[in-house]
Amino acid sequence: MKYLKYLFLALGMSIVGCSDLIEEPVGLLAPDGFFKTTTDIQTAVDGAYTHAINEKFWGRKLSIALMLRSDMVDLASNETRRVEMNEFTTLASNGMLSEFWPKTYQGIAAANQAIAGAENVDASEAIKNPVTAQAYFIRAFYYFHLVRQFGAVPYIDAPITDADAAAAISKTSAADVYANIIADLEYAKQWLPNTQPSRAIPAKSAASAYLALVHLTMGDYQNAFDEAKEVIDNKATYDLALEADFQTLFNANLIDGSKEPIFALDYNNVEAPDNAYDQIAPMTGIRGDDRNSGGGWSVAVPALAVYDTWPAGDYRRAVSLDEQASIDGNVVEYTNFIVSGHQFAKNQPYIAKYTRFPGPFARGNARATSHNYSMLRYAEVLLIAAEAAVELGNNASATTYMNEVRARARAGGSWLDTAPSAVPADITGTVTVADVLEERRFEFAFECKRWYDIARRRIGGEVFSANGLEGAKPEFSADDYLLPLPGDEIERNTNLTQNPGY
Amino acid sequence: MNLRNQLILVGIFLLNISIYAQDATRTLTGTVTDTDGFELIGVNIIITGTSKGTTTDYDGNYELTVNTGDVIQFSYTGYLSQDVTISNQTVVDITLSADAEILEEVVVVGYGSRKKSDITGATARVSTEELTAFPVLDAAQALQGRAAGVVVQSNNGGEPGAPINIKIRGNTSISANSSPLIVVDGFVGATMPQANDIASMEVLKDASATAIYGSRGSNGVVLVTTKKGKSGKLTVELNSTYAVQNTANKLDLLNANEFAAYQNQIRANQGNSTPYPQGAADTDWQDLIYQSGNTQNHQLSFSGGSDKVNFYASGNYFDQTGIVVNSGFERSTFLTNVDAQVTDKFKMGINLFGSRGAKNGVTTQSDGSVTVGGDDVISLAMRFAPDKPVFNEDGSFTTNDAVGDEVDNPFAVATARVDETTTNNFRANFYASYDLMKNLTFKTTFGLSSRNETQGVYQPSSLEITASAVNGRARVINENRKTILSENYLTYNTDLGNGSLTLLGGYSYQKNDSEVFAAAGTGFLSDAFSYYALGTATGLLQPGSGLSKVEILSQFGRVNYDYNNKYLFTATVRRDGASNFAANEKYAIFPSAAFGWKISNEDFLIDNPTISSLKLRLSYGATGNPAISPYQSLARFASLYASREGQTVFAITPDQPANPNLKWETSYQSNFGIDLGLIDNRINLSFDYYNIDTKDLILGNNGIPEYFGNQNDQILTNLGEINNRGFEISLNTKNIVRGDFRWSTDFNLSANKNEVAALINDADIFGNAAPSYFSHDRSYILRVGEEVGLFWGYDYAGVYQGGDLPSGTQTLAGGVAGDPLFVDTDGNGEITEADRTTIGNPNPDFSFGFTNSFTYKNFDLNIFFQGSQGGDIFNMTNVQLNNGDANTTRDYVNSAWTSSNTDTNTPRVGNNSNREISSRFVEDGSYIRLKNVALGFNMPSSVTDKLNIGSLRLSVSAQNLLTFTNYSGLDPEVNYFGASGNNSASSNVVQGFDFGNYPTVKSVNFSLNLKF
Repeated sequence: MKYLKYLFLALGMSIVGCSDLIEEPVGLLAPDGFFKTTTDIQTAVDGAYTHAINEKFWGRKLSIALMLRSDMVDLASNETRRVEMNEFTTLASNGMLSEFWPKTYQGIAAANQAIAGAENVDASEAIKNPVTAQAYFIRAFYYFHLVRQFGAVPYIDAPITDADAAAAISKTSAADVYANIIADLEYAKQWLPNTQPSRAIPAKSAASAYLALVHLTMGDYQNAFDEAKEVIDNKATYDLALEADFQTLFNANLIDGSKEPIFALDYNNVEAPDNAYDQIAPMTGIRGDDRNSGGGWSVAVPALAVYDTWPAGDYRRAVSLDEQASIDGNVVEYTNFIVSGHQFAKNQPYIAKYTRFPGPFARGNARATSHNYSMLRYAEVLLIAAEAAVELGNNASATTYMNEVRARARAGGSWLDTAPSAVPADITGTVTVADVLEERRFEFAFECKRWYDIARRRIGGEVFSANGLEGAKPEFSADDYLLPLPGDEIERNTNLTQNPGY
Repeated sequence: MNLRNQLILVGIFLLNISIYAQDATRTLTGTVTDTDGFELIGVNIIITGTSKGTTTDYDGNYELTVNTGDVIQFSYTGYLSQDVTISNQTVVDITLSADAEILEEVVVVGYGSRKKSDITGATARVSTEELTAFPVLDAAQALQGRAAGVVVQSNNGGEPGAPINIKIRGNTSISANSSPLIVVDGFVGATMPQANDIASMEVLKDASATAIYGSRGSNGVVLVTTKKGKSGKLTVELNSTYAVQNTANKLDLLNANEFAAYQNQIRANQGNSTPYPQGAADTDWQDLIYQSGNTQNHQLSFSGGSDKVNFYASGNYFDQTGIVVNSGFERSTFLTNVDAQVTDKFKMGINLFGSRGAKNGVTTQSDGSVTVGGDDVISLAMRFAPDKPVFNEDGSFTTNDAVGDEVDNPFAVATARVDETTTNNFRANFYASYDLMKNLTFKTTFGLSSRNETQGVYQPSSLEITASAVNGRARVINENRKTILSENYLTYNTDLGNGSLTLLGGYSYQKNDSEVFAAAGTGFLSDAFSYYALGTATGLLQPGSGLSKVEILSQFGRVNYDYNNKYLFTATVRRDGASNFAANEKYAIFPSAAFGWKISNEDFLIDNPTISSLKLRLSYGATGNPAISPYQSLARFASLYASREGQTVFAITPDQPANPNLKWETSYQSNFGIDLGLIDNRINLSFDYYNIDTKDLILGNNGIPEYFGNQNDQILTNLGEINNRGFEISLNTKNIVRGDFRWSTDFNLSANKNEVAALINDADIFGNAAPSYFSHDRSYILRVGEEVGLFWGYDYAGVYQGGDLPSGTQTLAGGVAGDPLFVDTDGNGEITEADRTTIGNPNPDFSFGFTNSFTYKNFDLNIFFQGSQGGDIFNMTNVQLNNGDANTTRDYVNSAWTSSNTDTNTPRVGNNSNREISSRFVEDGSYIRLKNVALGFNMPSSVTDKLNIGSLRLSVSAQNLLTFTNYSGLDPEVNYFGASGNNSASSNVVQGFDFGNYPTVKSVNFSLNLKF
């Protein structure tokens, strides 16, 4: 028996062994040593792009907020967070704000990680900088949204190493944020190639076009004009053109073949977790619509005046709005859309740009469409050039660029086999800023451009008056050109100051 | 004299007898009673030196074949054994006297056992009878109301197979698990065995008792000992129960016509002249999803053994059909214990456990995220329009499309959706102990366990909203957990001076591995494939896999010194090192000390006729909660799906920075207790007061600015503190013990008060316990100085009657007569975020259990009440049902303000609030519940003898028969966890919310117990 006790003593000991208790995670991504090749930089850049397609950013929260704040899209819902956006009663606790604020910064953090990681990649500048330049571009893209929404914001341009210091920073002034955006875009313009395999990867033209828009927003019309003109003059090099049929721009099956998008978001063709998919289409769709497995949710609906003020022969109106729909198997006109019986159904034409051709991956209610939403397309470059030309007194250029856009609009196209019409006619005489803004309103209807136009031109007092498309918005004031910073973010860093009026 | 010598002597003795008493074999009968004259059931009677023996029946009678000269031993737990040498009697009646000194109850403690009177910590024992009073799936359920300081709640009402949450002395954490450590037969972190196989269950509450489990001790420890075989003849036992179950309650909802009228009233109030398009049907959705359920549970066990080897083997089958259609649970369990005394110094044994469970689930308690309207059948049945039929004319399921979010109908979700979980558990634990020298024993255990769980979910294309557009969606998730545990320790006993000393020292190594994988797809040829044809999916969803490992390396020790049987000292310490601890904080030390004073053994009390026992206990110590998940303290990137040129590619984004200083959470607990026994311990009272300061709580929320851009926006920090303090009373009395009649009462009460003592910068932490489609982000609060999880919302001030606003109140924007008024807390003339305040406290003042047991002849009656006093409930069900975009209760429609019904506290239908979180929906959740009433009958031995069976017991019982409460919802035992779902963190702080959980069931139960 004596040997036995030693046997099981040994047994116990052998199991215990010696463990140093150091964790060796398998299957998890450790930052140490991650960046080795340009592919690794690209992987981080792709992360930065992907935050933009999320439901918390362009998928819904930001895009719908931008629509509702404009005069082109009204609200059919009593959800508090949306009412606040639509009526300019936004609180610092707003539930849309609290989602797109962090999402924007996650995109920035991924870009910062790519830029920092590129330092560790042992490759020549000519090899790695064109990849890193994408990170500079997308960082500028995010900050450009932030500075237009919030003005001065915390500016982060490197991975956080000293958390305590970073948690106590103050806001960077809007002017400095703009300067940084321009610097990033200039870097991108320097290193990005003329063309890319996809419009969802920024090329040199994307950097230039965004520079033009940034300068326009800042009121630097000469630089805006020069940048826009450079894109226009090099459109062959950059492989850009206006799409012949306006409807194609909003057909998820065809848009990837178009030469008009300059920078687009690449929507996943998988049902990714974390809400990384599009919900603009269901938000704008018609209740009870027989299309899209259950129709839309009827939340973001243009006021009737949007339709009524839009010249009837303009093909863009037919593409942008649904005047009729099939509900319960019956074709009904918009004047009878409430036949669906839903409490928020409206007898108004609905946004048609996203629900009509949602592509092969759309699910019920047209969630998760395949639309690779254009963030900036060639038509905008033309109208940026036109607006800047007006400001610079160059009426000839303004007229040329305006008419190029208007010519496409009256050419008609595939939707309902629309034949060319006379509307809109070529513009003659002196082009005004108001003319360009009105052109932008129709051309980019429901593309989330209008609010930024209202804000940069400070025309809120006019468009939200009783004469506005949505009638009087009494809560609107100049303070509403900026949103409040999320209240809890100010609680986290008390050195951040709230915007006036909140 | 050792056993062997005894046996030889007995043998010689018997041999001698047999020479003189020839041919004396005969039947001996008799009755065994206690000193009160009450018959004792199950007394072991054995002819010493043989394996021949019997036990007394339910009348205390026995019958045994004996020879003159046999020595018969009568033994019974808690009583003095008696030996009787047989001369020529044919009848021997025996009276056994209880003896606290020699056969006193032994209490299992960590790595050993102590006499109950020598315990210095706060512990509670739950008896086998209490555990098996009514059939439960999980033995933890049977703990409810039985032990002071222990709160037990199903995590989803009466759902078959729902996990059971146990909390001992409140929540000691905010974000980490607050469940106690379960130790089964020495296996740390084991699966609970089924109730019929449990011999004893001890709940260790204070630091003196739990510090031996170190970093895993701060939530308390439940020590479970399973049944072992006894020497003697084979006993076969059959336990069989059958129960019929129904939902305890339903809501009184509108029918189709009433609903249409209600919707039209809302439209009128909102200035909308479009009439509600009423459908032709009139469907009672609650009737469609509820059914009568049943439970059956059968157990067969074999036990017995020889002098050296004992065994116990049991098999159990449990099957429950839920009260919601398509829900159920089925489980088979096996348990075997074998113990062998190999030599007089060497003992070994093995414990084997296996179970297989299969759960058929329906979705309840949806967090609201599955298509904006949620997908849980309980809340859908309340909300869904009653004028809709189940099916459209083309045979497809209807959806809700006229009001509110478009959702699938509840019957469709309940019947068409597949959600199956199978769980296999296996555990083997081997031990060997060897007496190295006198009083020094070495024990080693080696065990392994594995748990394999597979969940398959299929959302068929017949679910219009959820899955029709993708032609069905299937998902399979598998998790495989393995644990290896090796423990080795020495125990040394010696007399030292006037006292006795026990030393324990040992070390332990445990390794837990967990592997998960998940696969999913969309687009199937046929719904009939369910989730078994992922290979045919046309759309691939993100698969997942992961591995996590935790190693724990520990040393532990304990000193017990008992001086003069009056003064008891206990000191323990454990040092835990764990791989999941952060780089700079790998090792943690947890000490505790306790002092006990047996006052009743002092000279001035020892002969006191009234006070039979009196003991004071004092303890203080530190215990931990590991709180850190594997790899949680390491820097990480998160992976994302990105799309690139139409191809799905992998992308990364910063997830979290490294956190090398992250520490476990530590609870510092002091305990003061008194145990008092009066009149021969017929009255036993225990009182405990405790104070637990839990420090270094890990908090993440609100910690760092979102502009850092981490996907995981929490840098975890050890900055929180919580205090729990309270008292516990257990009173056990034998009220009447007279002849055939006995009446005893058990009462326990626990009152816990918790308080948030520190948070990051002492800033409030807000959380949301509403489904995501409520579109709120704040419904509860953690605030320094307050209890955990107070409700946070507007303070409701009645209905606006038009005209001037009552002073200090406001309506929401655009309020008119009939709209709700709220207190304008900040007095700025409008209702904003700043007007929210604390509006209720879900923490009960106290909870209690009260059991009365009556025995008369062969009948016994057990009545068990359980209750909770003072906790508030937030009735989120009413928030949704009063919102207008769903069906509602008749009560709401009838009490709502109208121009002709102005004297009411309920706003008009279609008012200007949008699912507001306000005090209007806070209700008192106090209740007293008749948890169990059971009547049992033990067949008299005259009958069982004829039937040739050992004993037969029949009983009928009912659970949740009566509930006394003012709460207006379905059930006061609520447990909705909100948009963040049910996880360890939410179950700590989300309390008292009611929405869409599986209803508690009323059950009537018939049982049979048969022994051979």
